Amino acid sequence: MNYHRYIDVDVVNGPGTRCTLFVSGCEHRCPGCYNASTWDPDSGHLFTPQILEQIIADLSDTNIKRRGLSLSGGDPMFPANCAEVLHIVREVKKRCPEKDIWLWTGYKIEDLSTEQKAIIDYIDVLVDGRFIQSLADPSLPFCGSSNQRVIDLSKTASTF
Amino acid sequence: MPTTYSPIQSTFFDAPNALNSPVVKKRDGSYTPYTPERIAHAVYKAGRAVGIDDFAYAGQVTAAVTAKFMGSEEACVTEIQTLVENELMEGPYKEMARAYIEYRHDRDVAREKVSKLNHEIKGLIQESNEALLNENANKDARVISTQRDLLAGIIAKHYAKQFLLPQDIVAAHESGDIHYHDLDYAPFFPMFNCMLVDLSGMLTKGFKMGNAEIETPRSIATATAVTAQIIAQVASHIYGGTTINRIDETLAPYVTTSYEKHLATAKEWNIKDVEDYAMKQTEKECYNAFQSLEYEVNTLHTSNGQTPFVTFGFGLGEDWQSRLIQKSMLQNRIAGLGKRHKTPVFPKLVFGIKEGLNRNLGDPNYDIKQLALECATKRMYPDILNYDQTVQVTGSFKFPMGCRSFLGRYESDGKEIHEGRNNLGVVSLNLPRIAIEAGRDETRFYEILKERLKLARRALDTRIARLDGVKARVAPILYMEGACGIRLKADDPVSNLFKNGRASISLGYIGLHETVNALYGTDEHVFDSDMLREKAFSIVKELKKAVNRWKNETGYGFSLYSTPSENLCDRFCGLDLKKFGQIEGVTDKGYYTNSFHLDVEKKVNPYQKIDFEKIYPAEASGGFICYGEYPNMQHNVEALENVWDYSYDRIPYYGTNTPIDECYECGYTGEFSCTSDGFTCPSCGNHDPNKASVTRRVCGYLGNPDTRPFNSGKQEEVKRRTKHL
Repeated sequence: MNYHRYIDVDVVNGPGTRCTLFVSGCEHRCPGCYNASTWDPDSGHLFTPQILEQIIADLSDTNIKRRGLSLSGGDPMFPANCAEVLHIVREVKKRCPEKDIWLWTGYKIEDLSTEQKAIIDYIDVLVDGRFIQSLADPSLPFCGSSNQRVIDLSKTASTF
Repeated sequence: MPTTYSPIQSTFFDAPNALNSPVVKKRDGSYTPYTPERIAHAVYKAGRAVGIDDFAYAGQVTAAVTAKFMGSEEACVTEIQTLVENELMEGPYKEMARAYIEYRHDRDVAREKVSKLNHEIKGLIQESNEALLNENANKDARVISTQRDLLAGIIAKHYAKQFLLPQDIVAAHESGDIHYHDLDYAPFFPMFNCMLVDLSGMLTKGFKMGNAEIETPRSIATATAVTAQIIAQVASHIYGGTTINRIDETLAPYVTTSYEKHLATAKEWNIKDVEDYAMKQTEKECYNAFQSLEYEVNTLHTSNGQTPFVTFGFGLGEDWQSRLIQKSMLQNRIAGLGKRHKTPVFPKLVFGIKEGLNRNLGDPNYDIKQLALECATKRMYPDILNYDQTVQVTGSFKFPMGCRSFLGRYESDGKEIHEGRNNLGVVSLNLPRIAIEAGRDETRFYEILKERLKLARRALDTRIARLDGVKARVAPILYMEGACGIRLKADDPVSNLFKNGRASISLGYIGLHETVNALYGTDEHVFDSDMLREKAFSIVKELKKAVNRWKNETGYGFSLYSTPSENLCDRFCGLDLKKFGQIEGVTDKGYYTNSFHLDVEKKVNPYQKIDFEKIYPAEASGGFICYGEYPNMQHNVEALENVWDYSYDRIPYYGTNTPIDECYECGYTGEFSCTSDGFTCPSCGNHDPNKASVTRRVCGYLGNPDTRPFNSGKQEEVKRRTKHL
């Protein structure tokens, strides 16, 4: 898997102070996407175990306290990304159990494949759905268009 | 023409017209006939001044000069004078030549000054002097009453430079080696800079203002109304910021009287739940009282031609009355001003945070910290003042005077005193210039710095000296009615009030970032180099050493102050660009960076910025502020709280800069694009200042740069600010 950017201190993608990883690869190609340069799965840099260690170290930092990890992109649920992303979320939950994980995907939660669903087990909040320009609203917290949903999986996972 | 000169006249110039003499072009561009008598007169007078009485010689010189002009149609005054000088220097009377030249030089200087004065006044009347009009973002220079203040300022400045200050200090100020701040007020007027008003003393002991005797207020509504009156008066007698220290605790007793009054009413009218009624009424009254105070401050116009620079420090009161005041202030600020809910830029709000009181979940006032956070994400203020760091860095807890000036610890009769104390003013050093002059030679830098420090010290001494012998009657509100925490008689001298560290007097500095660039090159950014960080810090330590020495020598509260540089960032850099040309990383940006602050273009997160800057406040304990540039945080108050919490153990005073601009055309809220031409709505392109609200941090204060433009250096600095997240 490739990634575009890793932000060690982020306050825009999700609540609190976070670490945010933008992965490469997305098949939705939504018109008006704010991150179109990440669509190509071969763009960006190779995601290495060192980056994962960096993420774990930052999440464990007691100096600058992070609430959790945000996975965005691209699409972390892009089929070719699923195995690597599953590995990331497992490791994070194992080694930083008190940190939450938010994940942004263009797929709707009802439509996820088995592989994608496996990731869901480790996610606290899922923001789902394509970006639809006609429904864009910059005042929405944590998403771009009003069709997208911020789903707190710890409360609602069982309903899906 | 005096009769003594008639012999000369008759000898040489009986018929000048017949000789086809030229017309003379005067300095102002007008023409006058060539009059040789004037030359003879001046030469003769120069001779007399050095004891030479020689009509004939004066006549000879005049004839020689006149001969050179014969036949030409036009001559200009300076040309004629130069020829006279040449003639005199070749003649027998050397001292006469010297006297003539010196007299001319003095006249030139005097003439230049008068014409500069006229030029400045003209600039004001024709509104053509951009620098003057935009010097202070809080003054609207197109309004008559402000123009009266500016006119007084032009003349006060002119007079002070010509007659009150030593000429080398004036020269150093004009060339930009140092900056003698607020010359438009002091030393012409015996005024001081900023202060903490002894509001509590005034309200409890009563005072006289204008024709009215004011007694202790008997409700919170009256207390805030009187407070506004006091602020207006005080702000008209000082030129810096007016701060009410711990306003919540100071006004808490009047919440109690209001409550008792409402309680009595409830009993009188047999209302069922008397306490509930009284509390509800008190809450309402308190909210309204602070709303009125906020409107008052924003509608006041002091005799300094501006809305007063007012700061309210609050947040440390624990009783319900103080809590109610804290909440009222924050709720009012969140609501905004007027029907468009505009973000007010005054009063500046500074919220105190203290471990065990409001810092952590479970603390009794933690709810109010949450309200303060919400307020900061929506209105930028409040800035925060961390209790423990403030005590550690400045010796005691008090809120800043104005936007960032801090007093040291001071005791009287074994009691720590803050109320009624003040700052006597600032003189700032142009640090980057010293570095440029030193030409990358560190030893040379410290040598020049030593000389500049001596100069700055003498400049500061003039501020102290100006208040010597001044009587209390010059500012009754300050010295006789209690604002300065003392009640002097009209003819009592005021100067004792400023001694022994009761007042501070500050050495300022600017552009530490550019100084490091000029001295050590730009190969590495100071942020990325431990060595350069150490070098930068050493410079500030050297300044601190100087003020400490001065303090010990004199007993006056000399302190090191991190100059806000609203105007100075542009002025110093402009003068240095003219003098030294473009120097990469130094004079090439159009502004110098604020005091010790990290270069605004450096991309770092707020934590890194705090870590970079945290070593400085303890050195520059007479004045400092740190701030960070944030994206819209209204959906993520928690992340802002993380940074506030991080700051608590590291820096005393922190401000949050967030995009809170509003477009009244399309309803957009967020950040307007900042260009060299102004501010534009990114959503609809609107750039009409009447249809938008744009708020930016100017220095320690906020400003509305859309309605009152920044100077070009400041605009450039704002344009280059990078987000720290």
